[in-house]
Amino acid sequence: MTKPVVNVTNAQKVFGKKSENQFKALDNVSFAIEEGEFVGIMGPSGAGKTTLLNVVSTLDKATSGKIEIAGQDITDMKQNELADFRSEQLGFIFQDFNLLENLTVYENIALPLSLQGFSSRKIKPLVIQVAEKLGIKSVLQKYPVTISGGQKQRAAAARALVHEPAIILADEPTGALDSKNAHSLMKTMEHLNQFHDVSIMLVTHDPLSASYCERILFIQDGNLYKEIKKTGDQQHFHQQILNVLAELTSIQSL
Amino acid sequence: MLVKLLSGSMKKMWKDYLVLLFGLTISIAIFYMFETLAQNQAFLEANALIASIVFVFHVGTFILALVTIFYIFYATSFILSLRQKELGMYMTLGAKKGKVTQMMFLETLVIGIVSLIIGLVFGVGLSEGIGRLLMARLDFSGEGFHSLYPSSLVTTVLFYFVLFLLTAIVNAIRVSRKSVLELLHADQKTDTKTIKGWKTFLGTLFAIVLITVGYVAMINMGNLAQLGVIIAAATVTPGTYFFFMAMLPFLIKRIKAIRSINEKGLNSFTYAQLDFRVSQLTKVLGTVAMLIALGLGAMTAGLSFYHNTEIQSSMMHGYDIKVHQPTEDELAEMENWKFEERNLYSYRVTEDSVYFSKHDLQANPPVIKELGGNLEELSKEVRLTDDLTAPVYTDEETDNAESIPEQWQTALRTELMANFYLFGDRTLYILDQEKFEEINASTQTVLIGKVDNFADYTDTLAKIDERHHQLAIDYTGEDPTTIGSKYENYTTIKSLANGTIFMGLFLGVAFLMMMASVLMFKLLSSATADIERYQMLRKIGVRQAKLKKSIYKELFLVFLFPGLIGLVHVLIGMEMFSFILIEPYTKIWIPISLFLVIYGLYYWLTVKMYQRIVLPKD
Repeated sequence: MTKPVVNVTNAQKVFGKKSENQFKALDNVSFAIEEGEFVGIMGPSGAGKTTLLNVVSTLDKATSGKIEIAGQDITDMKQNELADFRSEQLGFIFQDFNLLENLTVYENIALPLSLQGFSSRKIKPLVIQVAEKLGIKSVLQKYPVTISGGQKQRAAAARALVHEPAIILADEPTGALDSKNAHSLMKTMEHLNQFHDVSIMLVTHDPLSASYCERILFIQDGNLYKEIKKTGDQQHFHQQILNVLAELTSIQSL
Repeated sequence: MLVKLLSGSMKKMWKDYLVLLFGLTISIAIFYMFETLAQNQAFLEANALIASIVFVFHVGTFILALVTIFYIFYATSFILSLRQKELGMYMTLGAKKGKVTQMMFLETLVIGIVSLIIGLVFGVGLSEGIGRLLMARLDFSGEGFHSLYPSSLVTTVLFYFVLFLLTAIVNAIRVSRKSVLELLHADQKTDTKTIKGWKTFLGTLFAIVLITVGYVAMINMGNLAQLGVIIAAATVTPGTYFFFMAMLPFLIKRIKAIRSINEKGLNSFTYAQLDFRVSQLTKVLGTVAMLIALGLGAMTAGLSFYHNTEIQSSMMHGYDIKVHQPTEDELAEMENWKFEERNLYSYRVTEDSVYFSKHDLQANPPVIKELGGNLEELSKEVRLTDDLTAPVYTDEETDNAESIPEQWQTALRTELMANFYLFGDRTLYILDQEKFEEINASTQTVLIGKVDNFADYTDTLAKIDERHHQLAIDYTGEDPTTIGSKYENYTTIKSLANGTIFMGLFLGVAFLMMMASVLMFKLLSSATADIERYQMLRKIGVRQAKLKKSIYKELFLVFLFPGLIGLVHVLIGMEMFSFILIEPYTKIWIPISLFLVIYGLYYWLTVKMYQRIVLPKD
């Protein structure tokens, strides 16, 4: 096996001050994502999915525990180091795209490279290359408002990819897309993972989207509840996922 | 029901409404402040050095009204941008378009009226406060100045009421023209408009032509008089707006198009913000530039009048200090003064004559000011030569003696103050030493001198003039109304100029305050929309310091352009006063550096406020 790109050990996140009512959003969660893996995180609303993603993505600090990304411990990094780390090692895809609407698609994709000080001569071929990969070359000069939701999410994916981060973190990327666009985006991500060795961590509540992953971690009340691996075809995996979710629902209703 | 809904969400967005209310209130207060002066004809005419001051204020009202109209239309469209999404939502829930349109109309009007009431109260307070403060600083009694001036109140109310009515109608029409979908998705629109090349070209050309015509009119103000003021106002104002509407967006687009600049660090974002901002900022920046021009112009003119009082008072006087029969105390005091030149002349006074010693005059020939045709020649200084050859000179027409040459007459009457006020109708003589000694009277002296800084010694000079009055009483039996010293001239001009200085500073403060509120309003009203963008940039890993730098850079450019244009307007515009002031540019660096410091501080403050609003907190 290759080395892990994400390594989480005993991560804990507590909300609320000591004197107040404390709430454990993450309770001793440990897991690892290997390089080139496509891992899904699932669980009912309020289980701690987004908290986990925020902690891994360095947007939020874990209360305790250790988180390593690409071999670097991020738990004791300073704000500026974290910002640099994000811009170099992480790629984000959000549910609501988070494109800057006052920049063209091209400028949006180029931004991570500009931030790392690439010269504009080097930027152009990289942007075009990634845009071709994601099939959005024709809309590069347009502003985000003038393109469709699917195109926006591809643009966001292109921006997440362009600087070749260690891992892509996707938070409900299909949440705002119709099923056709969702399918097409997941296909693309699967393709990126399989043929370009991009590591992906995907947070979703949609079983169909999740079925594109190789491995899925289920979270329940801040704990790791179960882990399943894709063994057969996607159809089968989808069914497996649905079964686990049904299990979870029945526990919850108890 | 709808009213309830709207007032409910108004509470939710109270911060935005506060910004809006503040912006409108300041505008109203300033407009009122201006009108308290503009409509107070009696005060203007009694206190200004400029003959057609009332007319100048009429033109001022016109410019201010124009600028205000632009601003108010912009500011009230902010209400629409705050509301439209919500209104769209009500419509999807079944509210009729008529109802929603009506709501928009009423809301705009109500906000207008509320800010009108607050603004008027604030305006009265401001003019009272600033008026009193300036009067105290300038030793200016300011009689006839009223901070609560009924006719100004009426004008302000009428002007703004009509303006708010119009904007309410415009807002209502805009709502009624939009479809539900357009309203709902209003916030997702980018404001980047593509400007056609030929339109930019035409606009720029127009701007340059208009501003040039205005500048030429201002430079030739002396010949054009009132017509010049009209031409300048009617060309520079629209020219400035054209500049910001056509040239600036074009300029930024050009910068953005240079890839090596645009794709460096956060530049693409910074310039996009600016581009985005400039295209919706054009009118605001035009307004700001005009307000800077008016405010700084008024202040510079005021201070220029102030600094010209000394120059003006030396127009007729070659010497700063003139003391007849100086006392021991005065001589002791003057020992500490920095004299550039100091001369003593002896004279003797009898019942019907004043005799000067030719010897003294020839030993130290004084300077006089030669009268010329225009202002520049007025200040020409001429040193007299010792061409007095005859033993006796007199200013009386007689065959017995030569008459005093004209230049020497000026020297005696003006520089040596051997004038009618002091000596009555005594005849003047210049005698050689022999004849002078024969006169049966005690020898007196008159001291005249030039000092480094005249204004430093005014306290003593006032006392000396008091003594001169006493002297005049002794010689003539009556107290003259004037004595003819430079100090006296200086105080007369100063008291005349004080009114003008007061107006200049009063308006300067008012306009600059309005400028500040307009800029602040614009930036704060768009800040909410920016929060998300900065949040996003932080997520993809932009250092806080870089975000801060981007804001500094972006706002710097926003501040720079109107500041620059306003400054150029002022620098050229001061030429207008050259027909009334000798040196309109005297000490111009004082108001300008004052402005730069205040503007710079204001820039810094705005950046800090803006950073607090938009930057994500860690």
